[in-house]
Amino acid sequence: MTADAERAPSPTGMGGWIEERTRSRPLVAALLHVRIPAEARTFYFGGSALFLFGIQVATGTLLALYYKPTPAAAYDSVLSIMSDVSFGWLIRSVHHWAANLMILLVVLHLLRVVSQAAYKYPRELTWVFGIGLFGITMVFGFTGYLLPWDQRAYWATVVGTEIAGFVPVIGEQLLVLLRGGIDVTEATLSRFFGLHVLVLPLALAGLLAVHLTLVHQLGLANPKRPDPRGREPEGRTTPFFPNYILDELIAWYVLLALLVVLASLFPAGLDDKANALETPVGTKPEWYFLAVYEFLKLVPRLVGIMVPIVGLGLLAALPFLDRKPEVLARRRKMAVGVATLVLGGAVALTVRGFLP
Amino acid sequence: MGPDTQPSATPPITRRRFLRWLLGFSVVSTLAMVAAPVAAFLVPPKSTATGSGGKVLAGTLADIPLGKGKVVPLGSKPAIVINTAQGVVAYSAICTHLGCIVAFDDLSGTIVCPCHDGRFSPANGTVVSGPPPTALTPVTVSVEGDQVFLVSA
Repeated sequence: MTADAERAPSPTGMGGWIEERTRSRPLVAALLHVRIPAEARTFYFGGSALFLFGIQVATGTLLALYYKPTPAAAYDSVLSIMSDVSFGWLIRSVHHWAANLMILLVVLHLLRVVSQAAYKYPRELTWVFGIGLFGITMVFGFTGYLLPWDQRAYWATVVGTEIAGFVPVIGEQLLVLLRGGIDVTEATLSRFFGLHVLVLPLALAGLLAVHLTLVHQLGLANPKRPDPRGREPEGRTTPFFPNYILDELIAWYVLLALLVVLASLFPAGLDDKANALETPVGTKPEWYFLAVYEFLKLVPRLVGIMVPIVGLGLLAALPFLDRKPEVLARRRKMAVGVATLVLGGAVALTVRGFLP
Repeated sequence: MGPDTQPSATPPITRRRFLRWLLGFSVVSTLAMVAAPVAAFLVPPKSTATGSGGKVLAGTLADIPLGKGKVVPLGSKPAIVINTAQGVVAYSAICTHLGCIVAFDDLSGTIVCPCHDGRFSPANGTVVSGPPPTALTPVTVSVEGDQVFLVSA
């Protein structure tokens, strides 16, 4: 009795007061009280990436209060955040680790969707928007990397934008567009800062809204059987709220603890201040660009730049290329084989990139 | 509260209640764990000014001739240096009324605040007229040969 009364606030209580003024109960019910296939297994990768995006918005906003986006002041402002500002090291380190984990979780989420064939009918558009989110997350990493304006940041950006300059036909224009000029200068820093704190968050939030709406409308995919065309899927279901949400919250909680531990044990570093006249030995991009960086060492430049671009295009088109309704991995030998090969290649190149 | 022999006095702590307390405690401590560093982060560090403390060259006696004054930076705050008949004196240039920066008025021979015309005596920094509630804070001056140094805390 007591528990019931607490769960559904009376019209005279606080909940009733808000409900009368918002009439939001049907909306909340429509969002929360849906059912998901009992066999659905997401491993909470996508939801955790969403949680990390929230962490990035919060910590990024805090960092922006002290960060100064000019070459003269950027480095010192980051140094000041790390040494003068209370808990500055924690906020910056959490931002650093959440960025890395976000990319990792987005990749794991993508692999989960591929392995369960969750990109197939009727979720083709969810997949395409998801690939857009993956791309934006990578650009987030790339633009954020320059902001501390230290040697690693500066030279990784020089190399990264140089690679963009190899793109056939539009390469030169793309390079100037990215750098805001011929070289990496204060114009580049302004551009990257603007992209990182204004353009990308808005773009990501917009795509995310569409992605999540589609997930809500279509429900979670059943990894055991394909969705029937033109009618509702059958089979056992479980409630999304509170069952799934509670598990998701536990995953977020574990992730928060992991972030604090990582930030405390391995705080974000800062190299020497950027020096345009001296490239440090062993300049490398972050781990998520290492595979492309290594690939460029092994193959001609044109191949090295075109393979990732065409690859990303093919990845986005995956649901339109692999149209068979089959979802079980053992009956999708071709798709699973290609995915394993690509993943294996990327991991091998990344490992190679880490070796001195 | 009471021992187990008097169960009627207080309701027993059921497993559900205990778990609810535990959950509440966890939620509150998590929020505190997140809020404490964020709140502390929002408070800016005391001073990030470089070069504060020690002896700062304010200029030479040629820059500040007798009967003249000059506002110079002292760390992150301005100071006013005046060459009076009694020697070179200096005060914080921040008006004690509302924080405007004062200047030396040669004609009246007083330190004037441009905001509300508060006036201070160059001899000791005390208020001569106007709304400032207290005198200007003195700054230690050291004249070495031709050079005028200010010593900040």
